Amino acid sequence: MVEAEKAGLAMSPKSAARAAILGKLGTECRAADGASRPEPIVRDYIRRGSLDADACVAKMIERLREYDAEVTECSPEGLALEIANQIVRSGRKTFVAPAGVPREWLTPGFDWRIDGDLAGPLAIGEIEDCDGVLTACFCAVADSGTIVLHHSPAEGRRVISLLPDWHLCILRASQIVETLPEYFDRCAKPPALVTWISGPSATADIEMTRIKGVHGPRFLNVVVVKDGKTENQE
Amino acid sequence: MSVAGQPILDPVLAPPFPKAALTVLRDVQLRKNVAHATDVIQAKRARLVAEKPDWQALRASASQIRDEALDNLGSYLEQFEAQCTARGGAVHWAADAAEARAIILGILKEENASEVIKIKTMTSAEIQLNPYLQAAGVKVFETDLAEIILQLGELEPSHIVVPALHVNRSQVREIFARTMGLSDLSDDPQALTAAARHYLRRKFLEIPTAIGGANFLIAETGAVAVVESEGNGRMCLTLPRTLITLAGIEKILPRYNDLEVMLQVLARSATGERMNPYTSLWTGVTPGDGPERFHVLLLDNGRSAIRARERERQTLRCIRCGACLNACPVYRQTGGHAYGSVYPGPIGAILTPQLTGMKHAQSLPYASSLCGVCYEVCPVKINIPEILIDLRAQVTDQERKKAARLFDPMYLGMRVANLLFSRAWLFHWAQWMSRIGSKVFTRKDGWIHSLPGMGGEWTQTRDLRGLPKQTFHAWWKQRKQASR
Amino acid sequence: MRASLFITCYNDTLFPETGRAVVALLERLGVELDFHPAQTCCGQMHANTGFRAEAFSQAKRLVRLYRDSENVVIPSSSCVAMIRDQYPGLFEELGNEQLRGEFRALVPRVYELSEFLIDRLGVEEVGAYFPHRVTYHASCHGLRGLNLGDRPLKLLAKVRGMELVPLPNLERCCGFGGTFSVKNGDVSSAMLAVKLEDVLQTGAEFCTALDNSCLMHLGGAMHRQFAGMRTIHMAQILASTEQMPAEVAG
Repeated sequence: MVEAEKAGLAMSPKSAARAAILGKLGTECRAADGASRPEPIVRDYIRRGSLDADACVAKMIERLREYDAEVTECSPEGLALEIANQIVRSGRKTFVAPAGVPREWLTPGFDWRIDGDLAGPLAIGEIEDCDGVLTACFCAVADSGTIVLHHSPAEGRRVISLLPDWHLCILRASQIVETLPEYFDRCAKPPALVTWISGPSATADIEMTRIKGVHGPRFLNVVVVKDGKTENQE
Repeated sequence: MSVAGQPILDPVLAPPFPKAALTVLRDVQLRKNVAHATDVIQAKRARLVAEKPDWQALRASASQIRDEALDNLGSYLEQFEAQCTARGGAVHWAADAAEARAIILGILKEENASEVIKIKTMTSAEIQLNPYLQAAGVKVFETDLAEIILQLGELEPSHIVVPALHVNRSQVREIFARTMGLSDLSDDPQALTAAARHYLRRKFLEIPTAIGGANFLIAETGAVAVVESEGNGRMCLTLPRTLITLAGIEKILPRYNDLEVMLQVLARSATGERMNPYTSLWTGVTPGDGPERFHVLLLDNGRSAIRARERERQTLRCIRCGACLNACPVYRQTGGHAYGSVYPGPIGAILTPQLTGMKHAQSLPYASSLCGVCYEVCPVKINIPEILIDLRAQVTDQERKKAARLFDPMYLGMRVANLLFSRAWLFHWAQWMSRIGSKVFTRKDGWIHSLPGMGGEWTQTRDLRGLPKQTFHAWWKQRKQASR
Repeated sequence: MRASLFITCYNDTLFPETGRAVVALLERLGVELDFHPAQTCCGQMHANTGFRAEAFSQAKRLVRLYRDSENVVIPSSSCVAMIRDQYPGLFEELGNEQLRGEFRALVPRVYELSEFLIDRLGVEEVGAYFPHRVTYHASCHGLRGLNLGDRPLKLLAKVRGMELVPLPNLERCCGFGGTFSVKNGDVSSAMLAVKLEDVLQTGAEFCTALDNSCLMHLGGAMHRQFAGMRTIHMAQILASTEQMPAEVAG
C-alpha cells in the first residue's frame, strides 16, 4: 500500500467508528478479574503424541486413505522413480510445478509448466489447462490426515495447488507429526500463508450426502518418502 | 424483503417464535430434512468426541482462549490492525450494519466492480449486504453450494453451517434446471454438485473482486483464517485482484498457536470431522500470491454492548460451529426459519436479541425448554441456558415497567403467584380454590380434558389429572395428628 | 439420620402420592423425617420466566426455613438444580452477606432423592418390589443439571420383580420445559410426540422418572391418546413392596 494512501486512511472519517468502538472496549490488557496482565491459558489437552515414528507414518497413511487419497511409499533414492510411476499411471499429460522442486522430480516426457522461475509466474489460464500439479509440503498431521502447505518455493503459490484436478504431494516421513499442536511447535515463527488440506473438497449440503470434489483437486496422491530422520525446525 | 412464502429473517420484522414455529411445524418435508441432517452430524460428532480423550481439556482451553480475547478485545484489535496494515492490508471499522454496507460499496465503487464473488459469511447476511449491493447495481454471486441453492431458489437459510439443509434433492434439481437452463439435469447429488462446479468455474477465473468472512483473526500476526469444505473459499481468496473480508470484532484470537485448539474443536463440532477439507490463512498482501488489494472490515453492530455485560460476554465466544443447533430438540422440530434471524437455534436465541440491544426478538429467549444439551456440546462452553434465563429477566424487567403489562394476565398472574407463595396459608388457600375451581373441568375418570385460557395451551394435546382431594401437606398434618 | 422433606409446590398440589411414597421409603430405611408446614415453592417458575425479584423472595424464604435442617431431600431434580445453579446468582445479585452465608451453608445439605439414597444413605437396594415392565426417562435437569449419572439406574436395577426396558434417545428432552409447555405449546407438543414415540415403542407398562414435571407432560398425552401406558414417579416404585404395593393413580 502506498504511503499517501496510508496517511489518507488515518485521517478518514472511518476513524470515527474506530474511536467509538475502541472507546467502548477499552484498550488496556487485563484479565477477567481486572488484573493488569492476562492469566496464562491452562492447556491440559494432548500436546505431544504417543506413537513412535513408524506408527505415526502408518496412521497418516491410514487417514489419507480414508479420504480416498492414493498413498504410496518409497525410499529417498527411489523418489524420482515413484513420482514417474504416479505421473504415468495418472494418464495425465500437462502438469504445473513450483520453481523450487528438485529437477529430478520432473519426469521427462511430459509437459511441465514451471511456476515462478526466471520466466516469471504462469498465467492463470496456463495453470487452468494443466491436468495435475506436483508439490512438496511443509508438514503433515497424522491425527487428522492433514497436509500443511506453507507455500515455500518447493510448495508453490496457492493457485497452482488449487486449479488442477490432480495433486501429487511429496511428503517425507520426517515431516509427519502426530498431533496438531506438534505442527505448531514446528513453526519457528508464524507463517504468512498456510493451507491445511484434509482430504479432497467436499460438500454435504444436499441432503447431507457427502459429495467429493466440488472445487479444488478432486484427486490427491501422496508419496511418502521413508527418510527416517527427525526434522529440525525450519 | 423476502419472497412470498419465505420466512422473514430479520429480527425487526419477524413474527414471534411461537407464531413462526407453527408455520414451520406444518411443513413435514422441512422437519424431516432437519431431523435427518441434525441426526447425521450429531452422530458423527459423538463418535469423534468419544475417540478424543482430551475433549474436555480442549473445551476448557478453547473457552479460556476466547475469554482472553474478549476480555482484552480492544488491545488485540489494535494489535491485529497494526500487524495487518504493516503487511499491506487496509483495515476499516464499522460501528453498525449501515456503515459496513456503505464501506463495502465504497470499496467496490473505487474498484469499478460491477460483480463480486462471495464466500459464505453469516456476518454479511446479518448486515443484509446482498440486497443492498444488488440495489446499487452490483451483481453478487454466491459460491458456496448451499448459498447458490438459496440464492438461485430465492430461499432463506435455516442453519448456520448447512444453510440449505431444509431443501431436498428434487427441490435443488428444480432450482438448478430452471436457473442454469439444464433441462436434463438429474436429482443425483453428484450431478447437482457437478452442475454447480461448472456454473462457478468461469466466475472464479474472471470476476476480480471477492467478499468473504473470517473464522478467526489472529492478533499476533494480523492473519485471517477461513475454514471451509468445498474449495470455493480458496478460489475467492487467491484468484481475484481485490479481497474484502468482513469480520465481527469478536473473531479475534490472541496468537497463531491458539489455532491448535480452535481447529481441533471447530470441525468436530461443526461437521463431525477431525478436520475440514480446507483451511486457508493469509496475512495482508503477499506479492505474487493472491489479491493485490486486501481490505478487512471490523464490524461492531452490537457486539461491544454484549461484551460490556459481564454475564453475557460469553455469548461472543461463539465460533459458529452450529453444534448447539444440531443438538437442540427445539431446533430439531422447527429448523432455523422459526427464529426470524440469520442466527437461529440456541446461539441465535441469545445472540439475536442481544445484537438488537434487547429491543427485538424478545420471544427468542423463551424458545427453549432449558434442557441444557446446547451447553453440553458447545466447544467454547457458553452456558446458553444461564444466558437464556438472564435474557428472560431482562425482557421481563423491560416489559413490566410498561402500563400495558399491569393487567396482562401473565404478568398479573406471576405477581399473584408470588404473593401466594409468600405465606403458607395463602398457598394452601390457593390450592383449595384451584381444586374447587377445577372440579367443573374434571371428568368422571378424574382427569381434565379441556381448560380455558392459557390452560388451553396445555389441554390442546394433553390431559391433566384432576387435583387430588388431599394435598401432601394436609396428609402429613393428618398423619401427625393421628399418631398422637 | 434426620432429614427434612421439601415436597415442592407442584408435588404438594398435584402429586401427593409421590410425597407419601418418599415418606414410606425413607422411614423404611430408618430416616427420621420431618416436614416444615411453612414451605411453599423454590422460585423456579418465577426465575425461569424472568421474574427475578420474586424468585429471590421465594429463595430467601426457603433458605431461612431449612437453616437448621441436617439434610433436605427433594423429589424433583429441577428444584434441586434451581437451588444449585440459580440461587448463587440470585443471592449474589440481590442478597446481602449474611444471606449469602446462610445459602452457602445450606447448599451442601440439599439432595435430590436418588442422591440422598446413594450418596448420603449409601444404599442401592432399598427393598423395593414392583412386578411390572418399566422404562426410565432421564429428566434434563437431573441428567445435565445435577449430573445424576447412573444413580437412577442403579436404584432401578435392584427393584425386585421389575423388568427395566431401555428407552431409545433416553437423553432427549420431552418438551415440558416449565412454562415453555404453554408459551410454546405447539413446539412442546411436537417434541412430546417425538418422545412419546420412543416411550410407547418400549412396550412398557410404566414410564418412570425422577421428576413429575416430565411425567405429567408424558402421562397427560398418554391418557389423551388412550395409549395404555402410565407414568409413575420413581419414588413410588422404590417405596413399593409386596405388603404395600405402589399407589398407582389414573
